[in-house]
Amino acid sequence: MSQLLNYDFWKLTAGVILTVGLYTVLYKENKFYRVCEHIFIGLAVGYAIVALWTETMKQSWWDKMVGSAPEHGAQIGTPGYWAYVMLLPIGFLGYLVFSRKYNWMSRIPIGIILGLWAGQQPKAWWTQYGPQIAGTIKPIFPTTMQAFRPSTAVLNPQIPADKLEITRIDSQVYWSQAITNIIFVFTVVAVLSYFLFSFDFKSRFMKFMTTSGRWLLMIGFGAIFGSTVMMRFTLLIDRMYFIWIDWLKHAVLHWPGG
Amino acid sequence: MADAPKKSFADKLQSLNKPTLFLILVLVTSIPLFFQIDVPNKPDPPAIALFTELMQIPDNSTVLIQSDWTLSTRGESEGQFKAVMRILMRRHIKACLFTLADPQAPQVARDAIRELNEEQVAHNLPTYDEWKDWVHIGFFPVAEATSVAMVSDLRKAFAGRKSTPPGGTSTDVFQSPVMRSVHSLKDIPLYILMTASATTTVALQRLGGQVPLAFTVTGVMGPETQVYFDSHQIVGLSKGLKGVYDLETLMKTGTTLPDGTRIEGFPGMIDLDRGARYMPALHGALTLLILAVVIGNVGMFLSRRKTS
Repeated sequence: MSQLLNYDFWKLTAGVILTVGLYTVLYKENKFYRVCEHIFIGLAVGYAIVALWTETMKQSWWDKMVGSAPEHGAQIGTPGYWAYVMLLPIGFLGYLVFSRKYNWMSRIPIGIILGLWAGQQPKAWWTQYGPQIAGTIKPIFPTTMQAFRPSTAVLNPQIPADKLEITRIDSQVYWSQAITNIIFVFTVVAVLSYFLFSFDFKSRFMKFMTTSGRWLLMIGFGAIFGSTVMMRFTLLIDRMYFIWIDWLKHAVLHWPGG
Repeated sequence: MADAPKKSFADKLQSLNKPTLFLILVLVTSIPLFFQIDVPNKPDPPAIALFTELMQIPDNSTVLIQSDWTLSTRGESEGQFKAVMRILMRRHIKACLFTLADPQAPQVARDAIRELNEEQVAHNLPTYDEWKDWVHIGFFPVAEATSVAMVSDLRKAFAGRKSTPPGGTSTDVFQSPVMRSVHSLKDIPLYILMTASATTTVALQRLGGQVPLAFTVTGVMGPETQVYFDSHQIVGLSKGLKGVYDLETLMKTGTTLPDGTRIEGFPGMIDLDRGARYMPALHGALTLLILAVVIGNVGMFLSRRKTS
């Protein structure tokens, strides 16, 4: 009886019913699935609207606009900045996109946002891709005959002589690193060659490069697909954990353990 | 009415019954959850780098955590969040949390911290308290503008945001022990972004070079984010469930850096959680997938040979 009055139990049970309902689409499209889907979307939208107010609008806009009374023994409160009220009509202009007569006014807030965004882009682009371009320039010739970087575990970086030795070891290009870098640089050049669509390549070398580029892209997509599948499986495993462990084992059967 | 043509063995291999396959998948992903199976693990370099960075944050400093994940990626993101928070809790590092992606994210993060505190109480360990150890300053709706504002003036960017001290009312976050000594991004030793969305790009573009960045991302985002670790734009990275398991393993075993420096973990504490629990099931699911691909290809090979 006490379990039937337990809020957490019913919360978990509702979660289990909705989880099973959403997975029923794997068998075939059905009304139970549709009901669960609509409940999920409705809850998400409703929650987002409330959270948008409590987590953002109230603190960042309303409280600043109306100010606050003294708190925690302070003598004075925070004055209200009523100019913030002007943000409201600018924001509402965006909704005039639904009016045939006044939809041109919606372009004002959109234009402000686009202008701000476009102004930031050159620096943003360089900050993201500049180090990527620099990182592509790698040494492809070994500077030593050693195949691998020797271990520095026995050296103590606090001792100057050992620190110098670690620096010397790290500054070398070993054969293994050189081969890795050659594969890396070849991949970059081959993939870039593949995207040169403006020319009809006649030379065997360029045909080899573009074909290699296509193959290397496919290998890359395969790796991404593998990661994607792994993530989807993890989400399924988590739902199974929710049903079998969180709900059945802990909430229903009250078995101990993780 | 004529009978349908009888399917050959090759055709049968290529048209396995889908509901049966789904049922096997459910069994394969469910049964391992009831048992404790240790999967051997060798942590990846990006996860080792993230662990190292977390373990080398100066004592009592404050990190910024952009927690953008929600329950839609709980399987991966919650494990990453809890692993990172456990390290911060045990090292007494303060954390200022916020989100730039989803209004649902703040409550999800608060719930996860509450669960961690319940775990601490159950083991007679100190709790990680709101206001004193961490604050959550809510959702900022435009990631680009907020990130630029943080670089320009962190105090103005977070102005008006509040948190609640124990037994008190909602109070300005810069009066809290967490944010009192923070004036700009220069006071932040590490900016951790936990996300399942493209806010990584925004952080790289707007915050790159301004503060040390570390990401925990979903498996889907792993390959595209790895390049930023390789180019040293981020100092640490945890990718998907493997990343979770890596962090949990490192918390248990610690690590030795290439220069010989030893970084100890937290042996004897609760280190293995979602990563360790889900790994056996993931291996089962991947084995099933590989088997299905092999069976389908064998069927196609037999079918083609018969036709030719």
